Amino acid sequence: MIFDINFVGLIIASIMASSVPLILASCGELITERSGVLNLGVEGMMIIGAISGFALMTVTGSLFIAVIGAMLGGVLISTIFAFLTQTLITNHVATGLALTIFGIGISAMIGKNFVGIPGKEFPVLFKSLKDTLPFLSPILFGHSIVFYFAFALPFFTNYFLKKTKLGLIVRAVGDSPESASNQGINVKLVRYSCILYGGAMCGLAGAYLSMIYTPQWIENMTGGRGWIALALVVFSTWNPIKILIGAMIFGGLTIIQFHMQAVGVRIPVQFLTALPYIVTIVVLVIISRDSRKIRLSTPSSLGKSFYKDN
Amino acid sequence: MNTNLKISNITKIYPGCIANENVSLEFKSGKIYALLGENGAGKSTLVKILSGVIMPDKGEMFLNKNILKLNSPLDAKKNDIGMVFQHFNLFETLSVFENLIIDSDETKENLREKIELIMKKYNFLINLDVPILNLSAGQKQKVEIIRCLIRNPKVLIMDEPTSVLTEQETSELFLSLKKFSEEGILIIYITHKLKEVMQLCDEVAVMRKGKLVSVSEIKNENIESLANKMVGQNLKTIKKKKVKISGDQLIKITNLNFISEDPFETNLNNINFSVNRGECLGIAGISGNGQSELFQILSGEIISDKNSIEFNKNYIGDLNPQERREYLMAFSPEDRLEQAANPQMKIFENVALNNFKSSNFFKNGLINENKIKEHAKKIISNFNVNTDNIELKSQFLSGGNLQKLIIGRELITSPDLLICFNPTWGLDVGAINYIHETLIKINEQDKSIILISTDTDELLKLSDKISVIHKGKLSKIMNAEEVTSEKLGVLMGGGEID
Repeated sequence: MIFDINFVGLIIASIMASSVPLILASCGELITERSGVLNLGVEGMMIIGAISGFALMTVTGSLFIAVIGAMLGGVLISTIFAFLTQTLITNHVATGLALTIFGIGISAMIGKNFVGIPGKEFPVLFKSLKDTLPFLSPILFGHSIVFYFAFALPFFTNYFLKKTKLGLIVRAVGDSPESASNQGINVKLVRYSCILYGGAMCGLAGAYLSMIYTPQWIENMTGGRGWIALALVVFSTWNPIKILIGAMIFGGLTIIQFHMQAVGVRIPVQFLTALPYIVTIVVLVIISRDSRKIRLSTPSSLGKSFYKDN
Repeated sequence: MNTNLKISNITKIYPGCIANENVSLEFKSGKIYALLGENGAGKSTLVKILSGVIMPDKGEMFLNKNILKLNSPLDAKKNDIGMVFQHFNLFETLSVFENLIIDSDETKENLREKIELIMKKYNFLINLDVPILNLSAGQKQKVEIIRCLIRNPKVLIMDEPTSVLTEQETSELFLSLKKFSEEGILIIYITHKLKEVMQLCDEVAVMRKGKLVSVSEIKNENIESLANKMVGQNLKTIKKKKVKISGDQLIKITNLNFISEDPFETNLNNINFSVNRGECLGIAGISGNGQSELFQILSGEIISDKNSIEFNKNYIGDLNPQERREYLMAFSPEDRLEQAANPQMKIFENVALNNFKSSNFFKNGLINENKIKEHAKKIISNFNVNTDNIELKSQFLSGGNLQKLIIGRELITSPDLLICFNPTWGLDVGAINYIHETLIKINEQDKSIILISTDTDELLKLSDKISVIHKGKLSKIMNAEEVTSEKLGVLMGGGEID
């Protein structure tokens, strides 16, 4: 095999492309969890985003409407979760699991009419620059707008949490909703907003899968990415930059093991397929070992219901 | 600045309990008011109403003759009412500065300047950029006070502020409060500690069972009169009789070290002490100085070196709590509902928990419910637990009753040594009295006690010997009669005495 620097660039670009939905969903869930809400419905919200986006694209023909619609789909289903957990004070874990099951079911039902329909080509940016630089060009240019957004998102999220007042309020609510409420912060409003934002990002992640990454509808096409996104949030110790690293490792190993299988490396396929999951978690655990930092960034009230007694 | 805060006919009813019944009071700036009462007397409810956390069912409040309606804590803040809660309202993982800026509208630079001015004026020394969880309780309280002062409050309400402070920190707090009062801030001080009321306040309002019992000036009261008003009956004072203690050593701790992997635990450094039969060793200290770790090592929740603990001529450092109980040790942990009892289980189930090996209770893997219930009834009547329903889930017992149940459960097997950790924490005077009497009785029966407590009055009352734990190190062991609370305070703060 000839070592071709452009080929390496292409592989890196494909790794990045495959990590986009993980970054989007994780960064959304990170904000939700930082406010103290554990939403296990990521997979469900992603698949709802995927079918909403694909269906709207097919029906209306407008990619813009489809992307916005996918995000609204995510928001809508997360509203159910928010209403149940925040207004009716149901258990976060059980409600989140139900949300995933619900999302997978309803997307399959809606999706029946869309199986086998080809998707549309999604416009890419900087197409003309694609051949200007060796190695770097395929990485930097010729991707969809969602791709660029996803790679900027962890940095925005980090800035939001650390530098803005709203970010501080989100962290405060996640640390102690009781104290926040006694300080006059509207805990429910903050948590609702964070859940809905998480829903929007998961919806976008789903839309990326069904409209850009593999432009078609296949039942259950998120294939467990929602669960990986959840794991990334925890193992990154609620740090957006580490989410980026984790998502890249996971995406990278997924792509590399495909190539290894194709080349015919004599390692059991099952092991290769499991590899990304194992390595991602191991790496994130190793880079997040500082227990002091974990304590400082873990939302203390995560998964605990909050209600005001009157 | 002249402030007049008036509440009239405040009533708040919870299902099954009247928390406040027609409470009317008037406060004027320039004075420090005490609101005195036992746990459950309705002080906290009244305070929550004054700070907008809850709303009264009936009644009105007036601030400077204007009607005051508080629908949320935000309204209280807007009306310049500052509040320092007993349980701090701080965000542990955020930095001090982040905690302070979160509800401020000022720019970072202005706020920092303002905070620094306040700290200079009142002699507070706090690093603004460390997370709250690195601070001591006294420092945390100062952060809360700064948070109030930033808003130039007219009224400052302090809810049981000294429960976590050392003697020194308390006197510092009192100095600051007097200064605030001179500057025209109206101060309402909630407590059940009589000594503090006498020391600090100008007027006192006593509450009992949701009702206002009396309002009077401090100069017309003394500790006994206030105590009787608060409890509603004449309290007997208990005192430990001085008896000669045998030289018979029961437990000996030698070169005990503990290094924790959790950076938020305290390491223990070369702990040595011994306790004789019939003796009570008190261990004083500000919470978080290694008491919890020491208790866990003594009880066997944390296993240590086999030879480091010698009990009754046996080396037991590597035994778990169940095995240690067989050597006749008994334990009463600090957290009644998390460590000592299971809140979801019924009373009679909880009393069986420390006695798994008893063939009376368990046979062939089955529970002998009748035997356990009999046993539970015995504890309830012997130890004055105020309930006759042993099917009640233990979370519904009041703190005092639960503590009596736990102490009773531990003592009914007549152990040689009882190790207790803050046994009267958060209890009212009646229950405290009962627990203290019980502990004195054990000593009289030639049984020993290790009493780890943050309450120095309690330690001075009950102990024969006292040591102080500071940052995981034990001070020299002193005879109780040569110790004063001032000396303890110095040691608790890390100082030295001759």
